Amino acid sequence: MRRDEVAKITENRKRGEGMMPNILEQMQKDLYSGKVEEVKKEVKRALEEGLSAQEILNQGLLAGMEKVGKDFKAGDLFIPEVLMCAKAMHAGLDVLRPLLAGSGATMMGKIAMGTVAGDLHDIGKNLVSMMLVGAGFEVIDLGVNVTPEKFVETAISKGAQLIGMSALLTTTMPAMKTTIEALIKAGVRDRVKVLVGGAPVTANFADSIGADAYAPDAVSAVDMARELIM
Amino acid sequence: MWINVLSKAEIEEIHERSLEVLEKTGIQVDHEKGLKVLKKAGAKVNNKTKRVRIPKKLVERCLRTVPEKFTLGARNAEKDCPLVRGGRPYSRNGGGADYTLDLETGKFRPLMLADVRSYFKLMDGLDGISFVAPVFGQDMPVLGRDILMLREAFAHTDKHIHLRAYSGKTLEYMFKMAEIVAGGKEELKKRPVVSLLEAPISPLKFLDVTVDALLLCGEYGIPLDVCVMPGSGSTGPMTMAGNVLLFNTEFLGGVVISQLAHPGAPLQYAPRPMIMDMRTGFSLVGSIEGGIMAAAGAQMAHYYDVPVSLHGPWTDSMLHDGQSTFERTYLTFMAAFAGANVLVGAGMIQESLVISHEQLVIDDELHRTVVRALEGFEVNEERLGMEAIARVGPGGNFLADPHTLRFLRGERFLTHLLYRNSREAWEGSGSKDFEERARDRARTILREHQPNPLPGDVSKALDELVGNALGQLQK
Repeated sequence: MRRDEVAKITENRKRGEGMMPNILEQMQKDLYSGKVEEVKKEVKRALEEGLSAQEILNQGLLAGMEKVGKDFKAGDLFIPEVLMCAKAMHAGLDVLRPLLAGSGATMMGKIAMGTVAGDLHDIGKNLVSMMLVGAGFEVIDLGVNVTPEKFVETAISKGAQLIGMSALLTTTMPAMKTTIEALIKAGVRDRVKVLVGGAPVTANFADSIGADAYAPDAVSAVDMARELIM
Repeated sequence: MWINVLSKAEIEEIHERSLEVLEKTGIQVDHEKGLKVLKKAGAKVNNKTKRVRIPKKLVERCLRTVPEKFTLGARNAEKDCPLVRGGRPYSRNGGGADYTLDLETGKFRPLMLADVRSYFKLMDGLDGISFVAPVFGQDMPVLGRDILMLREAFAHTDKHIHLRAYSGKTLEYMFKMAEIVAGGKEELKKRPVVSLLEAPISPLKFLDVTVDALLLCGEYGIPLDVCVMPGSGSTGPMTMAGNVLLFNTEFLGGVVISQLAHPGAPLQYAPRPMIMDMRTGFSLVGSIEGGIMAAAGAQMAHYYDVPVSLHGPWTDSMLHDGQSTFERTYLTFMAAFAGANVLVGAGMIQESLVISHEQLVIDDELHRTVVRALEGFEVNEERLGMEAIARVGPGGNFLADPHTLRFLRGERFLTHLLYRNSREAWEGSGSKDFEERARDRARTILREHQPNPLPGDVSKALDELVGNALGQLQK
């Protein structure tokens, strides 16, 4: 963007014209194409132009991701493309973060993810983690073979609002129940939501162990997390 | 007759590049004894990262000791499955499932011990199912469930049994059980009545349980399927060439660990290439790309001269429906004509999660069909029927000719399920579709078939061992 264009936008903004500054439009476009460096530069430039961090977050980055999410659900975008978009969004977010923290602006929630005790399968959990990060959540990935104690400890010390548990084996599914019981015992169940998933896990099973939600795939996991936290 | 996905030059390139990956990138092994064996043989081990880089020469040396053939022994020797290059393929059910579609209601529900028993019995009664793999009852205790499964399998079939183990410890108990059935350690080595499958985690990671299996199988002479299953685009490269390269590398990694510890240990190459659906993130097993990559895997196995097991009847469908039939039919035919020794997946739907009795009956038919297709036909004086053609001459017919009577039986595949009569007859017999006929056949076999029971003393000895094992595990 040329200097005179920037000046024009700034001028327009001062006069309350141009509802969507060009820079934000371009940011959304580049985010959609997964252009990491461009998005980062555009966020910096938007700040220079006098836009607030919250404005850039909502109307630039999150609005861009919303379009990504919409097209992904329609089957037009594929997962690796979404992950690239998320990477671009986070490059922008990194610039904004110190400003947002200072201004009291709201971020998305914090989620602790892990494959339950006794289970070493992680591709599904990783995919959900990546998609959650893509949607703007802060994800603490605890890895595989995560004990109930570890989940509880993370929820307390890191302030995670949601715990996401994954299992691939029917023999390790009971560990989900044990983890929920451990949350109750620690007295934090009322402020920590529980989302479960994994190939053998069903909605019935999630109900029976008292989980807050069950997600059959990575996309609905993101939707569920939004619903539970926000 | 064989499907050639790869040219000879491409096979060699994939082999060379696999050696390069092993030497430069290496594999990850965290198993103390496994690391020791690898280090001693000259692999470069990084003790901190557990990364093992294997020199080319070492892989080549290990490849020389892998046997080219072996037999999956059965309690009843008539049901042995010799795995020989160019021989007929054998079939087994897909193992590990823990849900089912109820035979009577059609409803999706957890698999229970009672279903496991009826499923074993059905597999025993179907000729097109050559040997059996465990499926798990969710009402069985978690601790030692794999051991209890083997006990059930021994009780319900005299066919070969393909194991699944939860740990090195339970595996050893299961091998002891197999010794009892085979009649001793040496007998088990000669005719192993059980075999095992273990899978490294793609990409390139060998868990302790996998290394335990590689070492223990060698010690007991038990055939092991080195199951390599990268998911294209997720745990493997997006491209088919990259995925084949990766699973081939992982197979060679398994060969090295196994052959270093026990030269001559029987291994089967078991590629199970999957693809991740880029719209949902689901790992798919029924894709045509999976079939193409598996066929390439068979070519690599033939290049190394080791038996090969491929997925045959496999599907992503939720039901034993049209999609299921469609996917499993092309996969089965591709795998069989790629030269697979074992076709895996009978009875399984929804990837590897659900079993269905009627699907198993359909797959019995599918397997016998593909075996018939592979057999082709003989061309010789008698079968050409020169005399018969002369006898009948122009305008006649062959119905009552002696040549027809001579070859009436044995020339054709006899179907149990395909409908081949008039509409009137079909309506008269209840207008049943393919699946309903399969259900009928399943019910008949379950009602009438009597599995060959274990000798009383063997049964008693097994119960004793299982009781002890479960007690030990609880400690």
